[in-house]
Amino acid sequence: MDQKVRRRRVLDILVKWAAAGVAGVFSIPALIAMVVPAFRRPTAVWIRLGPISEFSVNRPTAVSVSYQKRDGWVVRGFRRTVFVSALGPREFKVFSNICTHAACAVNWDDKRQGFYCPCHDALFARDGRVLSGPPPRPLDELPTKIEGGYLFVQMPA
Amino acid sequence: MSRILDWLERETGLVSAWNRFWLQPLPRGVGWAHTLGALTLLCLAVLFLTGAVLMFYYSPTPDQAYASVQYLEHQLPFGRFIRALHYWSARLIVPLMVLHLLRVFIWGAYKKPRQMIWVIGVFFFLLIVGFGLTGYALPWDQKAYWGTSVRLQIAESIPLIGGAIASFLKGGPELGSLTLMRFYVLHCFLFPLLTVVAVVIHIRQVHHLGVAPPWARVDQVDLFPRDQTLHPDQTARISLLAVLLTILLVYLASRYPAPLETRANPSDTAYRPHPDLYVLWLHELTKLFPPHLEFIASFLIPTLLLMALFLVPFVEKNPERALSKRIPVVSTGLLITFAIVLLNLKGLKALPREEPLTALEKHGQEIFVELKCYTCHGINGGGGPVGPDLGLGGKRDPEKVRAILKNPGSFNAHTVMPSYDLPEEKMTALVAYIVKIGPHSRMPPIPPVEPEKPPSHFEPGFLSDHKFEVRKDPEACNTCHRPFFCQACHQKRLPSSHDQNWLKFHIGNAAEQPKMCRSCHDDSYCADCHQKMRHDTAWITDHGKALEEWGHLTRWSEKTGLALCYQCHSKVSCDQCHQGAVPDNHRQPDFFRRHGEWVRVNPQKGNPEDNACTTCHAQQFCTNCHQERARPLSHQSPDYLWKGSVASRKGRGKSGHAREALQKGSASCATCHQPFFCTNCHGLPLPHGKNFLSIHSKEGAQNPSLCQRCHGWEDQECAQCHQRTRPRSHTPNYKKEHSRDPTLASGSCQVCHGKNACADCHRLPMPHPPDFIHTHGALARDRGITGAKAVSRLRQSLCSHCHTASYCRKCHLPDD
Repeated sequence: MDQKVRRRRVLDILVKWAAAGVAGVFSIPALIAMVVPAFRRPTAVWIRLGPISEFSVNRPTAVSVSYQKRDGWVVRGFRRTVFVSALGPREFKVFSNICTHAACAVNWDDKRQGFYCPCHDALFARDGRVLSGPPPRPLDELPTKIEGGYLFVQMPA
Repeated sequence: MSRILDWLERETGLVSAWNRFWLQPLPRGVGWAHTLGALTLLCLAVLFLTGAVLMFYYSPTPDQAYASVQYLEHQLPFGRFIRALHYWSARLIVPLMVLHLLRVFIWGAYKKPRQMIWVIGVFFFLLIVGFGLTGYALPWDQKAYWGTSVRLQIAESIPLIGGAIASFLKGGPELGSLTLMRFYVLHCFLFPLLTVVAVVIHIRQVHHLGVAPPWARVDQVDLFPRDQTLHPDQTARISLLAVLLTILLVYLASRYPAPLETRANPSDTAYRPHPDLYVLWLHELTKLFPPHLEFIASFLIPTLLLMALFLVPFVEKNPERALSKRIPVVSTGLLITFAIVLLNLKGLKALPREEPLTALEKHGQEIFVELKCYTCHGINGGGGPVGPDLGLGGKRDPEKVRAILKNPGSFNAHTVMPSYDLPEEKMTALVAYIVKIGPHSRMPPIPPVEPEKPPSHFEPGFLSDHKFEVRKDPEACNTCHRPFFCQACHQKRLPSSHDQNWLKFHIGNAAEQPKMCRSCHDDSYCADCHQKMRHDTAWITDHGKALEEWGHLTRWSEKTGLALCYQCHSKVSCDQCHQGAVPDNHRQPDFFRRHGEWVRVNPQKGNPEDNACTTCHAQQFCTNCHQERARPLSHQSPDYLWKGSVASRKGRGKSGHAREALQKGSASCATCHQPFFCTNCHGLPLPHGKNFLSIHSKEGAQNPSLCQRCHGWEDQECAQCHQRTRPRSHTPNYKKEHSRDPTLASGSCQVCHGKNACADCHRLPMPHPPDFIHTHGALARDRGITGAKAVSRLRQSLCSHCHTASYCRKCHLPDD
């Protein structure tokens, strides 16, 4: 009788371990697959704007860029306009054309010598500073790099 | 922990129920054969768990379903594993359940009072079939699409109700987004819900009625000892097999990922779906019947079998469980099972089998994928729409395949297929693979393309229509395709615009849409020709030297020297200058630079035919050089076209071309320009003809802005004449009638009378603005017209210029 009780106790433990093992084998990968993508960092993309000689020093150049943005399995093409402001022969600042006040599109205005936003008469300087109008901060600057004579800009992906 | 359990027990009694469940006594003789139900349950649990993960990453729309499955397969850690687990659990649950069913059948466990356990079990079996049918369609690959379309076809062949069933499943006129959503909801919501209910009832029934003692007569059940409990006696057996099943599942899932073919392509005509392994016996059965009786095999027999299955416990009322006393029933059951298994094996043999590839052919297959041959060629479906499907056609001749790969043009002069000059070893492998491809070959797995093609790319005519998309927005193509994508095909077949006259006209397109050129040509492409062949003012003196230098232009190597010129210029154009006798002045060293002066001095006005140059040169001689960039010197002054903006032209004099045209007469322009050249911009014949003065009122009244292009209001040019001669329309009654003048709306009054002409007389906004009906009362008050006699005073005033006395009464009451 004592032996039978021990057998049952051993079997009980073995069964519980087996159940835990089987559950673990299936649920751990499942858990990882469910959780991991939530903590992925967004990746940024570098986009070639063109040879640096193409950007006039006299006035900022508007460049339309197209790039892909990944949203899970949906990959969409996006198009944005950026302004390349050449401050020196190899010194560039690239600005988003979205006004920081009410998100209208700014454009370079030769007469005013600044980025002019028609919505609320805002004016930004060539280096993005706010010259006049309501915007709370300078134009958004995008990270740039120069490689092999080409100017690249990093778009938020 | 124990306090929580205590509380739970107090509130629900679940803990004691749980313990009672696991400690339920089992009769002697219950053993390994009785573990099958639990193993089925394990598979079901794995399916629920993995299915939940799959639902996290699945989008049930035709345009995203496949991409989402690809995301799961390639982007997600363990994604492929989870999907494979789901796939293999689904594959294994069917045989496990069939074995479970057979076990219950052979042991006679469904006998009174356990009939309903069996019925619920068969219902659960039906649910699993439903899961299989709906889950099959979800990945939306070729197999899913075509397999589902065959099944819907079968459903439709059922007499009377078939059409209704198929329509309900489809949800719409065709297999598409509505179908997919239906299948998704059935597969992931309704079926699981019913399954949970069925399983809970099924297990509860077994617990409530107890496991049938093996081989015991129905009325002798109580004589059998119950000397074991579910836990740990039976669970130990179950655990051992569950661990083995887990190992098998993990092995299968990690070794053989779930199949995923190419994206569903409804316009693919080469794809042939094969019946699933578990329905092969039905497929074989249908072959035994003539086509018009096919529904007997595809519907009637399965339905009858299912009915029989449901009715087994109610038909066999024999209280005996021992096999020897139930021979007719058991043998019938086993016979049917064997028949199904045999038919399945027969079908398995008849299934077209792909011949295994040799190592060389396998290497060739890798090259096939590496070179992306599949973008144009399918293998029995699944490829691009450009080239012929390689699964079609008979056995191929290796030598011919090799020749076509090396030089596709030798086979078909109009082909767009690029030539492949592979190293011998690779070429042999690829040729061996292509020769091996037969009617039963399958497309090798293709690495996913990022991003997924937009739906437009799957439209039937996309290949021939893509140029319109490109023209609309070349930049949009560049979001996905790399700059040289076009050249893959277009180096062989130029875009339709690039015809024999293209070189002459390409400048216009290049200037308008430089991005378009860049979608095929790189940035240095233009410079290859144009850095040397800049047709600017210096060109005429330099072209001889340049021609000598060009022996070796990279891109145009086969078109060196003069042939290059002949791309645009006719063969006689050299002779036009380079002929024997030339006038003395032509020999002056700077003649080319200064020949403009001669042209300006010599033409006899009004008749370019008599031009001194045309004595020898044809009239179009000038245009040979004087196109876009090599315009005459006069044309290059900055104010030649415009003198400032139109608005600010006042007081700045005329633009360069106007001055030149007036000074030298239009004949000088006509040397190069066609007679209608001026009209292109000016919209009027220029110079104005002799009788223009008499007809200008018509043009001017209809479209005053046409005149304003040159003549300003402020310049009072109109007034200079019209102070003396009023326009013909201005008859003596014109003051009264001018409101009816149809040209009034065009703003022609303002040409002479200025912008405020109407308001000057009418002292009201004219024509009345749209909201005047609401504001005219306020306007009257503003001007002090109020009080009892306001209406009559109003009548005498401004309004009465135009409106009669009864006009107010259209709205206002007489005493208002």
